[in-house]
Amino acid sequence: MVDKIKVENLSCYYNKKCVLGSLSISVIQNEILAIIGPANSGKTTFLRTLNRMNDLNLTYSHRGEIYLDNNSIFDMNRENLRKRVGMLFAMPTPLPMTIYENVVYAPKHLGLISKKFEQDVLVEQALRDASLWNEVKDRLKSSAMKISGGQQQRLCIARILAINPEVILFDEPCSGLDPISTTKVEELMIELKRKYTIVLVTNNVKQASRVSDRTAFFLMGKIIEIDTTDKLFVSPKEKQTEDYITGRFG
Amino acid sequence: MIKLTPKLSQKLSYLILFLATVLVIMPIIVMIFIIVKNGISVINWEFLSSMPRNGMREGGILPAIVGTFAIVMCTTMLTLPTGVCAAIYLNEYARDNTLTRLIKLGIVNLAGVPSVVYGLFGFGIFVMFLKLGVSIIAGALTLSIMELPVIITTSRNALNSVPYSFREASWALGVSRWQTIRCIVLPNALSGIMTGAVLSIARISGETAPILFTAAAFYVPHLPHSIFDQVMTLPYHLYIISTQIPNMPSNVIFGTALVLLFMVLTMSFVAIFIRIYFRKHRKW
Repeated sequence: MVDKIKVENLSCYYNKKCVLGSLSISVIQNEILAIIGPANSGKTTFLRTLNRMNDLNLTYSHRGEIYLDNNSIFDMNRENLRKRVGMLFAMPTPLPMTIYENVVYAPKHLGLISKKFEQDVLVEQALRDASLWNEVKDRLKSSAMKISGGQQQRLCIARILAINPEVILFDEPCSGLDPISTTKVEELMIELKRKYTIVLVTNNVKQASRVSDRTAFFLMGKIIEIDTTDKLFVSPKEKQTEDYITGRFG
Repeated sequence: MIKLTPKLSQKLSYLILFLATVLVIMPIIVMIFIIVKNGISVINWEFLSSMPRNGMREGGILPAIVGTFAIVMCTTMLTLPTGVCAAIYLNEYARDNTLTRLIKLGIVNLAGVPSVVYGLFGFGIFVMFLKLGVSIIAGALTLSIMELPVIITTSRNALNSVPYSFREASWALGVSRWQTIRCIVLPNALSGIMTGAVLSIARISGETAPILFTAAAFYVPHLPHSIFDQVMTLPYHLYIISTQIPNMPSNVIFGTALVLLFMVLTMSFVAIFIRIYFRKHRKW
């Protein structure tokens, strides 16, 4: 088992206030690591640090190191890092253009493709991989803002797949979706695990137990427990973990 | 004392609000009506396309129209690129520090300076110090300084109205900040920027004080040859013929006012149409 991402002693601060305290955690290649925990436990901050989306926030600062394939992500060019570590947001964020343009937007600007037929191939492949192709293949030229929320979220996944990243970060990807769309996204995640490494932040404890290989429980900016999902849900070592997953608090 | 029942107070407040609205639009309607009624008789092709004659009491107002157009064009070419670039910098790149706050404060305050002060400033700097003389370019530069805060403010509002999530979605895909601005932010802010630009063009075409000392001439017997020429302009011409020339036929005065009013209103309508068009075609 290879460590894809290795986090060492990471502490994060907003306005000097500590929200994540000396965190050390590894993400193994081709696994789904779920991060659960109540609100304000630092899950999203952790996730947004992994592809440096917090960099523009002036009140944010951090200490510690994160390695992607043994290279520090803070030494990398931000754009290159984000090309390798894609991110899906809680709310679907289609760009105001057609479905087709949404998929080719990033590859075109990153210089990955140029010719028209390459684009067509890429769009079909990405949409198929995101299991959206059959639903939108007849209306690729219509606005991405007009399809349903669940379809938009899968379009956003297709958009990430189109730049062929190594890691995909899911930030509560189903919080705005109906149960059927949620199932589709979850099936997709399990499918994607074969090619990608996935970190999933979720408020939905059941979702973590359904899709993930390992689960980490965050509380107040600390990791309380991390273990394989089976063990953590069947026999948690910590009292707090047990209370949370059985719904006694949080 | 009449006791106010809820129903009565409802009716009363409705009436007051309605009257206030009528009061607001009445002067505009009356003004347009009077100007059109008195001025329409002189409007013909000759009035629009010939030089003034007989101490400006007869003939047309062509040089004033051309002069106004020239100044407005020059000002727009100066302000629009500068203003939009400044707005992009302030909104997308500038960090929130003392310098940025000082710049923003400056912009807000520049917008509140009386226009005659701009005129005197332009006279001192552009006409005297830079020795541009009383000319189109000096007037355009003066108007630019006055109009920049407005363009910057409206452009910033337009940029701000593009949801932050679009930017984040683009960054998260590894697209750089400049490419995000060029391909996502600017196209979606364009309608707001355009509307602001057209409205400010309408505003500067009616300004008198800033060009009084910097560009406008009492009378020029020919059309401007270059941007270093003095010109006649509609608002200043209107001021002269209303106050400085004895025995001025009043229908010429109203006719000139009508042309100026028509120009400004046309541009306002263009702005409204741009806004309606983009709102219909907006994709989010």
